[in-house]
Amino acid sequence: MPKLGAGEDVWRRFAGTRINFISENTAPTAAIAANLAPFEKLTGIKVNIVNLELSALVQRVALDMASGDAQYQVIYADPYQVLAPYSKGLADLREFIGKDGYPELEGGLDDFIETQLKAAGQFAAEEPVYALPYDCPTMIWQYRADLFEKYREPMEQDLGFDPTPGAERTWDEYYEIARWFNENVNEVAYGTGQQAKQHDSLMCDFSNLLWSYGGDYFENGQELGLLGVEEPGACQLGSDEAVAAATLYDKLVKVAHPASATWDWDGVGAALRAGEIAMCPNWHEFAASNETSLPGKVDYAPLPRGPARSSDHYGGCGIGIADNAKGAVRGAAWLFVNWATSPEVQLSNLKSKAGGGTPTRTSVYDRAEVKEAEQRPTELPNMLTGPAVRTAWQPDNIGLRPKIPMWNACDTAIFTGLSKMIAGQDDAESTMADIAERIDGIVERGWVA
Amino acid sequence: MSTAVRAASTSPPTSKVPEPSRSRFRLTFPGALMAPGISILALLSIIPFLTLIVMSFSRVRLLGGLQLDWVGLDNWTRVLQDMDMWASWWRTAIYLVATLGLEMLLGVGIALLLHRVVRGRGLLLSLVLLPMFVAPVIVGLLGRYLTDSTFGLYSWALGKLGYEGDILGGSASALTAVILMDVWEWTPLIAMITLAGLTGVSPSVLEAASLDGAGYWQTLRHVVFPSITGILLVAFLIRAMDAVRYYDIITVTTNGGPADATKTVPIRLFETAFRFFDLGYAAAIGLMMLVVTILISKGFVAVLQRKV
Amino acid sequence: MSVSETQTTTRQKRSSQLMVWLLIAIAMLWTLVPLAWMLAGSFKSSADVTASDPQFVFDPTLDNYRNLFTGANDLTPYLWHSLVASSLAAVLSLVLGTLAGYGLSKSTMRRKDDLSFWVISTRMAPIAAVIVPLFLMFRVAGLIDTLPGLVLAYMTFNLPFAIWLMTAFFDDVPPSIEESALVAGCTRWQAFWHVVLPLTKAGLVTTGVLCLVFAWNDYAFATVFAGPSSQTLPIAASQLVTQTGIDWGQLTAIGTIVVLPMIFAGLAVRKWLVTGLTLGAVTGE
Repeated sequence: MPKLGAGEDVWRRFAGTRINFISENTAPTAAIAANLAPFEKLTGIKVNIVNLELSALVQRVALDMASGDAQYQVIYADPYQVLAPYSKGLADLREFIGKDGYPELEGGLDDFIETQLKAAGQFAAEEPVYALPYDCPTMIWQYRADLFEKYREPMEQDLGFDPTPGAERTWDEYYEIARWFNENVNEVAYGTGQQAKQHDSLMCDFSNLLWSYGGDYFENGQELGLLGVEEPGACQLGSDEAVAAATLYDKLVKVAHPASATWDWDGVGAALRAGEIAMCPNWHEFAASNETSLPGKVDYAPLPRGPARSSDHYGGCGIGIADNAKGAVRGAAWLFVNWATSPEVQLSNLKSKAGGGTPTRTSVYDRAEVKEAEQRPTELPNMLTGPAVRTAWQPDNIGLRPKIPMWNACDTAIFTGLSKMIAGQDDAESTMADIAERIDGIVERGWVA
Repeated sequence: MSTAVRAASTSPPTSKVPEPSRSRFRLTFPGALMAPGISILALLSIIPFLTLIVMSFSRVRLLGGLQLDWVGLDNWTRVLQDMDMWASWWRTAIYLVATLGLEMLLGVGIALLLHRVVRGRGLLLSLVLLPMFVAPVIVGLLGRYLTDSTFGLYSWALGKLGYEGDILGGSASALTAVILMDVWEWTPLIAMITLAGLTGVSPSVLEAASLDGAGYWQTLRHVVFPSITGILLVAFLIRAMDAVRYYDIITVTTNGGPADATKTVPIRLFETAFRFFDLGYAAAIGLMMLVVTILISKGFVAVLQRKV
Repeated sequence: MSVSETQTTTRQKRSSQLMVWLLIAIAMLWTLVPLAWMLAGSFKSSADVTASDPQFVFDPTLDNYRNLFTGANDLTPYLWHSLVASSLAAVLSLVLGTLAGYGLSKSTMRRKDDLSFWVISTRMAPIAAVIVPLFLMFRVAGLIDTLPGLVLAYMTFNLPFAIWLMTAFFDDVPPSIEESALVAGCTRWQAFWHVVLPLTKAGLVTTGVLCLVFAWNDYAFATVFAGPSSQTLPIAASQLVTQTGIDWGQLTAIGTIVVLPMIFAGLAVRKWLVTGLTLGAVTGE
């Protein structure tokens, strides 16, 4: 580990090293990859960015950690697929924060949105920080504002409530609106589209309803999703609330665009842009491409509420440092993690043509130009979702899936079971019971790193 | 090509060049030629294979280096009792029969057609071979591009013909779709090998048959097919070996859905190994796959041997 | 034969030949439509490529190709790595496989058939399971993220295949050919190199092409054994599957680039691909 010379710029302490950053091909990474020169100029460190599709990334990271030394020093640490199972393979970043010999973390840890720092950066313990929040896609209600404006009055008359999207609507009302569009509107083929493919996206879509009804995968779901635990206890999917949510979800998919069973988030996004559907729950970072295809026509709101609350699924992620990295590359990795999540870089990511990812720091959202961009005409189309996502990230609204090491197996059990329900092979009650049984079996087998 | 059949069975070898087998160890000429290839192969396959066996009896840890904790028969009892696994095997069986069957039929058919063409055969063959050169990952994504209900060419065409559903959305149609994608990619392999075999059937034998008054189909059944049986077996085995192992197309299109309709064993294997990190169990699944593939190959060789 | 019989047979011949061409046309359509559509897609703008109704007429653009070769994820290194690693793996597997295949064919060992089956059984290994021990072996040997390492990884499935296939071709060469060469005074190596090998040219080309194809197409091994400095084309294709959707324009462009070199390779060797695999055609027995 090179020592810091007297009067030497702390950013240049590791000049000359090469590090590797393994990431999913996500918006901030695309933006950073297109504009890496400033980092090299600042620090003299060369960064090699490796993009992989998520399951290939998880595979490589696991093998890398098994090998004893780190080929990838900076890791995109998906909270559920990398952080929860392999937190022991990541370095505790408090080793660097506020310590001499390393550049300051601008704004400190407090500048990160609190729920995001816990969800994306920590696991199972209050103190250690394994990753800094890097991106934050969140599911919100995306809808064709032009169509809602055109048909607001007839809808209000027929349905008996103001259909304007927002957290005051209920999921039942969402269902009614979708049906109304099916029957009365020709500009789009169907009212809603859902991500009902047998894929992680199905679990994401369903979870919004589950949590809004007060159901959850395990007890103390909000805490489980925030910090996470190693042993979650009994699965709660058999509860009445869960069954009610599943019943409604089944109903919803039946009136949704029939291709929903083939769609993950990409399919739904494309359908909205192509004018196939009037509204959908989807990740907020699709706003930029919505604005390109349907300028001025798409608006955003938090998802509807159920009997318990309104819940918006959080899918953000952090970047961390491989614990096996030693010496100069370890320090260099910290410089990169620090820089890549700094306010300046997050702002330029937001503006970047190549990326458009939204920031994870409060200070960036407070800037005048960012606040202005929330209204049209806007230079930063992803900020059109600003008000919606800010509500979404409140501790009461944020939707957090369980952060447990064996989550992947549970996730597969959940979306496979739901897929069977949607295909008509099972009703909601037996589906939930079956999934709960499988999850209990998985949790019982325990976890060995 | 009949010796390819023999190679996989247990009949005694015939001697090619008079050279007595030696009982004391001496590097014969054939031995010397075999040595580099076989030793590299041994190095690359024996250690992983033995590790795999040990892993199947253990609980595997990855962090901090590979560690194996002995658990005895746990993984094996689990793999044999897992109803999901058996369902996957059933689906895999359907997938194998459909893809291999269609590929053999269409491949031989195309080879016969190309055999009838003299001018331009080379160009046609090059065109027919193209799908083989597209990586399965890309074939899957291309297939998804063609069958997407919003912008897919095939779904649009089927829509014009009155088909309302979504290709990858229904259980049966999704399975059919991934089967057809696989068939599209690998039929050329069978066609290529079969055609090469057909051109090897000596013309004088064919002449003799037509002079005897045999029609096209009769010549085919009684003269041509018997002489290319060996080649057909080679083509079949090449494809069969890979059909059990490959999962790229399904992963990228349906991810095993809808409702597990396309969840074949190799997908379950990848998922168990690198999503669930249950590597001991994955090793057991993998060894089961190996046994099944060996049984299929030996089975087919035996069947064809009895016919020949 | 009477005149009317000749006429019927000619008509039959013509109609059956027509049938052949019709069926070939259908086969060509089935084969080429997806590829043509992929080629078209690569020249479409992102709006056109995901438009609701397939755009048969559109304004072509080179944007997709431009995006692939500029910026941080320039495709050129991927292309280079794929070409080098696949070709080397194919050539090495072919050379070692041919030698071992001849040796296996001529061998008089007692357990020869078992050895032969063992060789091909190594190619049946379940990929995802066997990757973990292989990865650790390669890591210890420092082969991860190197082109030689990737070549060796490809050889795990190409070498057994080459050995097995070449053994079958050599088995088809009648022993009399070699015997007469030896009687004429050749050493065993000369008999092999100058007499037997030329007769299996078509077999060599077929095996070589197939080895190239299997290595070129591989994704499963590349995701594990390649690293930041040795990524291959199939990985580039899968990278386009992102959180915010799939860039179909770039994907069809990558697909076209992946197929192109292989088209040239296939065309270059097509003459050898259609000549006989067995000796019958050459000696006309």
